[in-house]
Amino acid sequence: MSVIDPRIHQVLDGELAPEAVPAELRRAVAQLVAAADLVAAPPSGPAASLESRVMAEIRRPTPTRARRVLRWLVTPHAIILRVRPAWSVAFAAVVAALTLFTTGQEGPELAEHEGIAQFVGRFPEAQSVHAVGTFNDWRPGSIALEDQDHDGVWRATVVLPAGTYEYMFVVDGERWVPDHLAERLVADNFGRENSIVIVRAARR
Amino acid sequence: MRPWVSLALTGLLALPLAAQSVRGRLEGRIPSAAIPAVDSLIQFASQEGLPTEPLVQKALEGGAKHVAGPRIVAAVQLSLGQLRGARDLLVRAGDQPPVLPAELTTVAWALRRGLPEPLVERVAAALGRPPRAAAMHAVADLVAHRFDPDSAAGLIIGAVQDGVPRERLLDVSAVALQQVQRGHTHAEALATVRRQLPNLPAPSKPTRGTVAGARRPAPPAPP
Repeated sequence: MSVIDPRIHQVLDGELAPEAVPAELRRAVAQLVAAADLVAAPPSGPAASLESRVMAEIRRPTPTRARRVLRWLVTPHAIILRVRPAWSVAFAAVVAALTLFTTGQEGPELAEHEGIAQFVGRFPEAQSVHAVGTFNDWRPGSIALEDQDHDGVWRATVVLPAGTYEYMFVVDGERWVPDHLAERLVADNFGRENSIVIVRAARR
Repeated sequence: MRPWVSLALTGLLALPLAAQSVRGRLEGRIPSAAIPAVDSLIQFASQEGLPTEPLVQKALEGGAKHVAGPRIVAAVQLSLGQLRGARDLLVRAGDQPPVLPAELTTVAWALRRGLPEPLVERVAAALGRPPRAAAMHAVADLVAHRFDPDSAAGLIIGAVQDGVPRERLLDVSAVALQQVQRGHTHAEALATVRRQLPNLPAPSKPTRGTVAGARRPAPPAPP
C-alpha cells in the first residue's frame, strides 16, 4: 500500500501553499486535482440522452389490451414441438375414424325440387306401419315407419318431390288409418278421408 | 307432309300408346273387370285435355284399399266430374282454355277440402295467373280451423297484393293459426297477420339432423 506524502494532503486541504512543497510533489498535487475535477464534472452528453430515453419510455402510456394482443400476434415466436410417434399415430387414427364415422350420416343430397316429409303415428300394438299414397302409387312397402324405442310412436322421414300428396297409414298390412296428426284431410271418394301432406322444396 | 297432318298422326299413335301404359299400371292393381271402364274414363279425360294422373291414382287407391270394382269406377267417374267442374270454374275465373293441369288439380283439391265454389272462384280470379296451389291450401287451412271463409280468402288475396311470394302463402296461414293457438280470437289473429304483411317470420327449414335421418322411398315391390 503506497503512502501519500502528508504535505500533499496539506496542499489539497489548503493548509499549505503549493509553492511551499518541492516540484515533484507539486506535479502529484496537480494530477490529483485534475482527477478530482474529472470526477466532480457533470455527466457528458451520451449519459443524459440515455436517461431521457429511459424516462420517456417510463412516461409512455400503457398500450391497450388489444394492441398488446396484436403485437403478440405479429411478433415471431419460437415454438418447440416435441412429438412422440406413438401419440401421433394414435391421433391420426382417431381423426381418420371420425371422418369415416361421420361420412354417410349427412343424409341424402336434396335436389332443388325436393323436400322432406315426416310421418308420425301412434300405434302401440302395431307390428308394422307403412305410409301409402299418391307418392308411391298407393303401393305398401316403400315407406316403412319405425318404432326404434318401442314406445308405440312410429316415424319415417323421407325425401319426396315438392308437391301435394294424399296418403293413409297401413297398419299390420291390412288396417287403413288416416293420419290423425295431419291437419289436412280430404274425402277419398270411397266414403273415408285421406290425409294430405304438402312437401315444400327444401332449397327455397 | 303438312305440319298439322304429322301432328294428327302423332296424336293418333300416341293415344293408344298412352292408353296401353295406363292399362299396364292398372293390371294386377284393380279388379280386371273394372279396367275397361276406368280406362275409358281416363281416355275421356285425355281427350278433354284434363289431367289423367289423378284418375289413375284414384283407381290405384281403390285397388289398394280392396274396394270392389264398381265402386272404383264410380270413384274415378266422380273424380273426372270434379276435374270438369274445376275446369269450368277456372274458365269462369278468367283462365284461357286449355287450363293448366296443375291448376285443375289444385282447384279440385280445394273443392274436395270443402271450400265453397264461389270462394274458390273468387280466389282464382283475384290471383289471376298460376300457380295458385299454395293460396288455395292456405285458404282451406284457415277455413278448416274455423276462420270465416270470406275473411280467410281476403287475408290471402291481400297478402299476394302486398307482395308476399306465392310459395310463402302457407306461412301466412301458419302465422294466423299460431295466433289462435296462443289464445287470440280469429279476428285478432287476422288483424295481427295483416299488420305484419308483407313481412313474415323466416320459414322453418328441416334441420341437419332431420335431413340426415331422411331416406328416399324404397322402389316399389313387383306386383
